[in-house]
Amino acid sequence: MKALILERNLPRFAASRVASIFGSGRGAGLGPLQLLDAETPELPGDEWHTLTPLLSGICGSDLATIDGRTSRYFEDLVSFPFVPGHEVVGVLADGGTDHAGRVLAPGTRAVIEPVLGCAPRHIAPLCPSCSQGATGLCGNTAFGALEPGLQTGYCADTGGGWSEAGLVAHASQLHAIPETFSDEDGVIVEPVACATHAVLSAGIRAGDVVAVVGAGTLGLASIAAITTLIRPVAPCTIVAGAKHPHQRQLADDLGADHVVAPDQLARAVRRQAASLVLGGRLTAGADVVIDCVGSAASITEALGLVRPRGTVVLVGMPGVVSVDLAPLWHREVRLVGAYAYGAENAPGHDSPASALSPERRSFELAIDLVAQAGLGRLVSARYPLERYEEALVHAGAAGRRGAVKVAFDLTTVKGRTR
Amino acid sequence: MNSRRDSSRSLLPTREVRADAALGGRVGSTLRRLRPSALASRAGSAHFPLAAPTWPGTVPRPAPTPELGVHYDTAWSRRYPVRLARAIVLDNVTRPVAKVLAQPRLRGEDALVGLDTPLIFAANHASHIDTPLILSSLPQHIRHKTVVAAAADYFFDRRWKADVFTFLLGAIPMERTKVNRKSAQAAADLIADGWNLVIFPEGGRTPDGWGQPFRGGAAYLSIRTGRPVVPIHLDGTRHVLAKGSSTIRRSRTTLTYGLPVWPSKDDDARSMAARIEAAVAALAEEATTDWWTARKAAARGESAALQGPDAVAWRRSWALGPAPERQEDIAGPEENSWPRKTRR
Amino acid sequence: MSARPGFVLEVDRSTPPTLFWRGERFTLEKLPEGSRVIYAPEPHEPLDDPLAAIRHALANPLGDSEPLSALLFPGMKLTIAFDDISLPLPPMERPDIRQMVIEQVLDLAAEAGVDDVELVVALALHRRMTEPELRHAIGDRVYDAFAPNGLLTQHDAEDRDNLLHLGQTDEGEDVEINKRAATSDLLVYVNINLVAMDGGHKSVATGLSSYKSLRHHHNPETMRKSKSFMDQHRSELHSANWRMGRLIRDAGIKVFQIETTLNTDTFPDAFSYLQKREWEWKAKDRIGFLGAKAALDRMPARYARRLFHSVKAPHRMTSVQAGEVEAVHKVTTENVWAQQGVVVEGQTDILTLGLPYISPYNVNSILNPILVACLGLGYFFNLYRNKPLVREGGVLIMTHPTPWEFNPVHHPSYIDFFEQVLSETTDPSEVASRFEEGFATDPWYIHLYRTGHAYHGVHPFYMWYWCAHALQHLGAVIIVGGDPKSVHRLGFRSATTLADALEMARDVVGSSPTLTHLHAPPILMADVQ
Repeated sequence: MKALILERNLPRFAASRVASIFGSGRGAGLGPLQLLDAETPELPGDEWHTLTPLLSGICGSDLATIDGRTSRYFEDLVSFPFVPGHEVVGVLADGGTDHAGRVLAPGTRAVIEPVLGCAPRHIAPLCPSCSQGATGLCGNTAFGALEPGLQTGYCADTGGGWSEAGLVAHASQLHAIPETFSDEDGVIVEPVACATHAVLSAGIRAGDVVAVVGAGTLGLASIAAITTLIRPVAPCTIVAGAKHPHQRQLADDLGADHVVAPDQLARAVRRQAASLVLGGRLTAGADVVIDCVGSAASITEALGLVRPRGTVVLVGMPGVVSVDLAPLWHREVRLVGAYAYGAENAPGHDSPASALSPERRSFELAIDLVAQAGLGRLVSARYPLERYEEALVHAGAAGRRGAVKVAFDLTTVKGRTR
Repeated sequence: MNSRRDSSRSLLPTREVRADAALGGRVGSTLRRLRPSALASRAGSAHFPLAAPTWPGTVPRPAPTPELGVHYDTAWSRRYPVRLARAIVLDNVTRPVAKVLAQPRLRGEDALVGLDTPLIFAANHASHIDTPLILSSLPQHIRHKTVVAAAADYFFDRRWKADVFTFLLGAIPMERTKVNRKSAQAAADLIADGWNLVIFPEGGRTPDGWGQPFRGGAAYLSIRTGRPVVPIHLDGTRHVLAKGSSTIRRSRTTLTYGLPVWPSKDDDARSMAARIEAAVAALAEEATTDWWTARKAAARGESAALQGPDAVAWRRSWALGPAPERQEDIAGPEENSWPRKTRR
Repeated sequence: MSARPGFVLEVDRSTPPTLFWRGERFTLEKLPEGSRVIYAPEPHEPLDDPLAAIRHALANPLGDSEPLSALLFPGMKLTIAFDDISLPLPPMERPDIRQMVIEQVLDLAAEAGVDDVELVVALALHRRMTEPELRHAIGDRVYDAFAPNGLLTQHDAEDRDNLLHLGQTDEGEDVEINKRAATSDLLVYVNINLVAMDGGHKSVATGLSSYKSLRHHHNPETMRKSKSFMDQHRSELHSANWRMGRLIRDAGIKVFQIETTLNTDTFPDAFSYLQKREWEWKAKDRIGFLGAKAALDRMPARYARRLFHSVKAPHRMTSVQAGEVEAVHKVTTENVWAQQGVVVEGQTDILTLGLPYISPYNVNSILNPILVACLGLGYFFNLYRNKPLVREGGVLIMTHPTPWEFNPVHHPSYIDFFEQVLSETTDPSEVASRFEEGFATDPWYIHLYRTGHAYHGVHPFYMWYWCAHALQHLGAVIIVGGDPKSVHRLGFRSATTLADALEMARDVVGSSPTLTHLHAPPILMADVQ
């Protein structure tokens, strides 16, 4: 059984960092990632179950890790060696129980909510965040029964999705997917859950103009989340900037009102907000900007697009960036992060989604959303593990090469039956 | 023939289409159906605009407007930049070449001293070298403001010739025989405008070395404009380049200016032409003898007639006397001739 | 030599290739045998003494009007309005007609002891003119006398304080015009009638009005009913303007209209081949063409553009008439027709156009894709009387590079219109119903229109409505040599060469179509029999 394993090896990280100058994912062959023989990790306790991956997506944060671009902030939140892959749909060969305690029969397909909060770490009592269901905000991700690791796919003890050997998942992490789901539908649930969480935390109100910067997986999923979850209760206008034709087509299909090229986004937002322009910034721009890129340029653009007292949500993972925050200060802009997922519509949440039934987890909403919007179509390419270098290069150039989500295909592993 | 034309030929319209067009009898601006192959098949005047355009067969051609001969418009050659260019060429090319080929000896230049321009210069004519020689010899203040009456049928029969001579010599077109009103008017206007005029009243180069009767053009212009005619006699230019000859030889020449002939009240063109001819004849005498002898002969009315004896050709030729001994005859007959003949 | 009338050439195998404008460039194109090419009449002789002619016109007005000098009295309020940068095309060599006329009017006003005089540029929703442009149009004398004192203003259709609502026509159309003009004892309008569309009641009713007024006739419905808007008697656009003009008259506003016409001497000597028939090109023309073409083809487009926009046209005044609007305009229109009219027999299946670098709305600017469409489908297509040159369902082929390029100062709303409106729909009615209001009221466009040099936010819509009649009439529109992305955004088809375009056109009009080429500029009006 093979798995892609990432080791702490500074020279290899350095080589990968250099290679990534020529394109994200280019350093895969030189870098710290290696295809090695691997065993299924041991179950760390009773509530743990073995999940054999079917599809495992390549996320932007995975690429950043492999390229050596990740912020050093995460250094203490991972444990080496680990198997990457947190966007996983797999099969529970021996069955198990899900997050709500429901029994899952052997052979059930499930996705994992990868955050390793208090519950998987056997920490009791739960920290305040976890007890409210906001597992993404758990402060204990380096403590407890497991090695440090903020998610499955960054932890030495749990294994990860890029493995034929499978991984171990705590019952609180498991969500069964409907029979009608394809594997693609399953693997896209995790990023859709991120987008759902971000969009619901943005405080979108009726009549708002929402600008979405970036039209990769997260951008498109955000658009889908807004059109499906928010618009029915709070009609709003979505303006999306998308660079590549297939992205524009998808953004359009998913219900964005105005889909334009990135260099036209500012003008489109200005038109929608009927704003004036001052110093290249809109005087009254979008109420909410969803930044799905996370670069200095995109944050600067977002600050130029948002109205005073508006909200910029960072969904794409940023690193060390250099941004002029004067407009943020002067115009009292809220710049908020949106990481992972949790229990939506927790107390104090002033989103119109409070109309939703209480205590639904992002993942549950995401599963519904994938079903409604048919988001499995965002998976554009599948690669076997052996061709991981090619896969990572493809993922690094997804937009340019007409793809959205690239995933490892583990369904064709020899001797496996489904 | 290139391949493009071949292909066009192979796609020429079918007979039916042609017949159809003929039957329809459509003309002018009425609509015609395009043949399906019309686009691919046309090569036509592919070289336009590098070459001149062809005239559409569907457009009636206007009567040609005459642009050559006496109708050639020389105004461009008197615009300042062109004059400047001509002056540069005249001083640096024409003049040195004329000097070397014709080695002119100038006599009687003092006849021009103190004369106001414009002037009309009338000379006998034996050679193409005459005009450059006269232009080269004129004083500077005259030289660059002079036009030359040139035979409309000879120098202005082709566009390029007209352009070249107009540029180089400041030529203006004039009929050889009967000067028509247009060209006379043009020349008179130029004189009135301050331009000097060089004219050869014989109307062409001598065929045999003897002069031909002077025609009335110079005299007419003089009477009309009130400007004097300065007679010029050229001797020996025939030996540099004679009419009908294509070789140029170096030879000594003499150019003699005479005192101006002023038009008088009762002159008509014929009588004044005769006076001009007599003046040139006197200069001819002077060229072969000396001024005093010539003046005496003229006073007696015995100047050798320019036109020579009225006799058969060989006697006329004989009467001219021997050609001057030329340097090139000493150096070797072919040495200085041009175009040079190949020697075996 | 007297000017030859317009001419319809039938292309045969001896016909040299035909000049096609392509924006700032041009090419020679072989037209298929049997095609027709319509050439404009040659420029008429201009007036020998234009100043004397103007004096004569002011002293001998047409229609029910007293001479101008009799209308002027001390203590009166006089406003002189004049046409803006959109006329004439290209801008004329100095002195501009407006300068000559206005100086004469002011002379008379000074004689009569009129103190309260203001000059107004009749911009409607066009961009404000720059100082050099104004100086060119009205001359330094007039500019220096009026501008520093704030007495030269540019009509501001968004200045609520300086607009006056005069009422509604029988058809319910609001008439709202410049308050200064409306409250003057006399409004003198100085016009340049470049094409048959200009002038008449349109001068005041459009040039000095506001969006509230304009929207009644600047809309797809009206434009579809204007066949063509160059033919006043078949133009709903003009009917509306005439209704409004009569309401203005009945409201007691005294208008003294001065209209002028130009000859078609469009290009200076160095470019004279551009207005000659190809088979009459002399060596000088051919050398000029080859030299200019070689230089232009190698030159970056922006330099070529700058070069062309610096070209001033040598056209000269051929007539001037003054007095009562309708009487004046009747004579003006006749004069325009006399200079520009060409009789053409029958409609064609395919009409080809070579689009030049200039339209009324991009003087000193870029001919952006919307203006390309407007120039071809709006202006050139409508240069007809009786019937369109091209039959219903026929094909229009235009040559122009159509770059995705805009002048952000002059055409800010055009950018958004192109990016955001045409990407959704190209149907003029839908464009109007879904988007017009938003653009017309957008505060940013209003700000740029009022303070900068921007066309009003709603102006690109009008450009698109201008195309409405052609869009409804034509079977297909093909742009040759255009940027395919822009061309597709316009909803047209893109072809690389004219030959390709003709092949494509055959899909629409059949395999043996008739073809007519409109050899303009110079401007001509086809009288299609």
